Amino acid sequence: MSGARRAEDLRGAVTERRRLVGVPAQSTAGRAVVHANAHGATLGSAHLGLGAGVICAIQAAHGLITFAGNVDAYPNVVPVVLAWLLFIGAFATMSLSIATRGDRLPTWLFASYLAALASVVALDFVAIWPLQDIGSNATASVTAGFGLMTAVVQRPSRELVGAAIALFAAFVAAILVTTPLTAETVPAQLTVVSIAVFPPIVAVFAVRRFQRMVQLELDRVLVQSTVSAPRFAVGMLASEELARLDLAAEELLDSVASGRTALPLRPKLASTAASLATELRLHLIEGRRETWLYHAITESEQLGKSATLKDTGSLAGLLDPRQRDGLLSAIWMLVADKKKNLSSTAQVVIGPVLPRIDPSSRRTITVPIVITTTGVPRNRVDPSTWVAMAKVGRFADSTEKSSLRVDIECIVPNPAEH
Amino acid sequence: MEQLAQERDRLLQASARGIGLLSLLASLVCLSFPGVLPLSTLLSTLPLFAITALCLTRLGSTRSLGWVVCGMAAGLGILAAVQLPLGTGGSSAVATSVVTLAGGGIAAFSIVLIRTLPRILLLAFGLTASTVLVELAAPGSGVISSQAATALLGWALCATFAYWLSASVPRAARQIHSIGRAHRAERQASETEAQRRQGARLLHDTVLATLTLLAHSGVGVAASALQQQAGDDARLLRQLRLGGTPVPQSSEHFNVDPVQETALGHTLESVKQRFGRMGLEVSWHGTGQVLLPSDVLDAFLLALAECLENVRRHAGVTDAHVTITDDETTVRAMVTDAGVGFSLDDIDSARLGFKDSVVGRLKEVGGNARLFSSPGSGTTVVLEVPR
Repeated sequence: MSGARRAEDLRGAVTERRRLVGVPAQSTAGRAVVHANAHGATLGSAHLGLGAGVICAIQAAHGLITFAGNVDAYPNVVPVVLAWLLFIGAFATMSLSIATRGDRLPTWLFASYLAALASVVALDFVAIWPLQDIGSNATASVTAGFGLMTAVVQRPSRELVGAAIALFAAFVAAILVTTPLTAETVPAQLTVVSIAVFPPIVAVFAVRRFQRMVQLELDRVLVQSTVSAPRFAVGMLASEELARLDLAAEELLDSVASGRTALPLRPKLASTAASLATELRLHLIEGRRETWLYHAITESEQLGKSATLKDTGSLAGLLDPRQRDGLLSAIWMLVADKKKNLSSTAQVVIGPVLPRIDPSSRRTITVPIVITTTGVPRNRVDPSTWVAMAKVGRFADSTEKSSLRVDIECIVPNPAEH
Repeated sequence: MEQLAQERDRLLQASARGIGLLSLLASLVCLSFPGVLPLSTLLSTLPLFAITALCLTRLGSTRSLGWVVCGMAAGLGILAAVQLPLGTGGSSAVATSVVTLAGGGIAAFSIVLIRTLPRILLLAFGLTASTVLVELAAPGSGVISSQAATALLGWALCATFAYWLSASVPRAARQIHSIGRAHRAERQASETEAQRRQGARLLHDTVLATLTLLAHSGVGVAASALQQQAGDDARLLRQLRLGGTPVPQSSEHFNVDPVQETALGHTLESVKQRFGRMGLEVSWHGTGQVLLPSDVLDAFLLALAECLENVRRHAGVTDAHVTITDDETTVRAMVTDAGVGFSLDDIDSARLGFKDSVVGRLKEVGGNARLFSSPGSGTTVVLEVPR
């Protein structure tokens, strides 16, 4: 049961959904994700981390050029040269670590890196202290802010944001102590603080959104595999579940057979046998009731939260792969397509089969599909949603309680004729 | 991929909005510091700031180029307005104040300008115009003022950011799709495995029967018989567990699946033994071994076992007869007992589970069942399946 984090009541209703992206951790797909990650397939994150490094390098080059052009102004260049050497060393170590270790960045290394960056800032401030204008002369310390971005993929947001806030505080303190605030100097101070602090924060935001976007896409692609399932499918967890029940039954029967368990059975063990029989019976018929769409909704993190299905006749199973693809995409886009936090939900009701109007069309039947939604205004629906719905069948959309309602007439082969 | 591309555009747009608005705010705060700009000039730029902010906000939700052009124009307008009259050269403070505007507020538009050639041209224009305007505002100095260099840096960073984010998406998409393929294979394997286990219905039927006896603590059945039955069932389950080979769908073999071959080699015999242990003697007549497709055989044997179970429970006798006959099209089993019988009108056939468990199962494979009985003269059930 370790891989199957769900509980079922007697009707087989899923009461607790799996977390993550619909991949049972023990399944091949779950292992595939882990395995792929181990081999550096970080779903684009590693490439993003590299990009952060490149951006940091561009800023560093700019900082060095500025420093070189301004070197005569320093009363003592030793601290600032040390600061730059330290930064280059830390940045190179970090890049090397990311290149070799990939996704993982141990806390001790990150802590040392932060300490190095702090020293860079301190040395730079020491060097420009006598100039009495932090904003116009800070170079290595600004680049240290960009240096935070190199760890954006590997470390949690709060650590990076915390470090950025500390950097902000250091700048503010140094400016207040050293720099006389006049109309001539203030713009430079504000500008330099913005350049040092905003980029790492923006990078954290962008990378987190990127990762969420990729997770969502993974969820969608995994669920997409239900489209090619047979009319009735058992779902990813059914065989694991069945194997578990078979094993439990085997153990019980074995202990009875070997005499380890005395007959007649104790009441507690007898009730175990009863519940085992019930569960086993349910699982033996399970696959014959549930369609691909049920599995798609229960296995998906996104759809599981926001979509419900009523398909008493199991008619969804009759849809061909193209129609299934359209229906799944349409539901997906209706509920997932929101950057707003308002929760959109979709209720899908399939059937009952419409009475045949044209007696000549004996080979097909018409299945009505009604999608009612909450929190999906008609004008916010993505145009590709309509394209997806058109794949399912002829549809009419209307608005119900200020949210979209779609009626689809889906024509499928008559199962009695096949 | 299509949806992922849309999501990527949304992410770029949202980033552009965030970077742009933050930079715009920083620039406005700098310019508003007393003494940096004459009040009248500051007031005259406020509408332009508002327009740029509006365009950046709209950028978060639309891909339209109109907002980009409008926002860039307004931003460049600010750059020009703060140093009016042009050519006289602004103060260093003003030039520094507009660095975040040029290198962030306007440069943020570059994030959505890297995809197509017209957009790239627009990017090049914005970059040149804003750098030149910042340079004009900065008095004196050499080739390029530090302010203009920083503005240029802002453009370079924004464009690199956008390019890199876009380039990461196809990589992610490729990996996702290879994981998706693995998942599809896994789903099929899982489906096959579940079908193999579910397909072993006969096995599960006897396991369920034994479990049900155990659920009643095994009362009413001899302990030794129950132990032997439990041992048989446990062995079958173990074989099912160890055998990894999937069942061929249209096996013409007599057995339900290869795993059960040894134990269920004489399928009818095992049914007989099972009922024998529970106190019903079953006598077989007619054809011994019949070759049937596995699903038909499965349904046939389940229906047969169900009929015998009814005899055991309700007929009040200890023996039953099963006669198997077959011709070219049909295999027939006649289950007879000399028990109490019943009137077909009195007893709802559904109560015996007859309709669901017997007729239903046979109909699934194209067969049929008929029931004959009257009180005092026993019961006969005829089961038919196509061969």
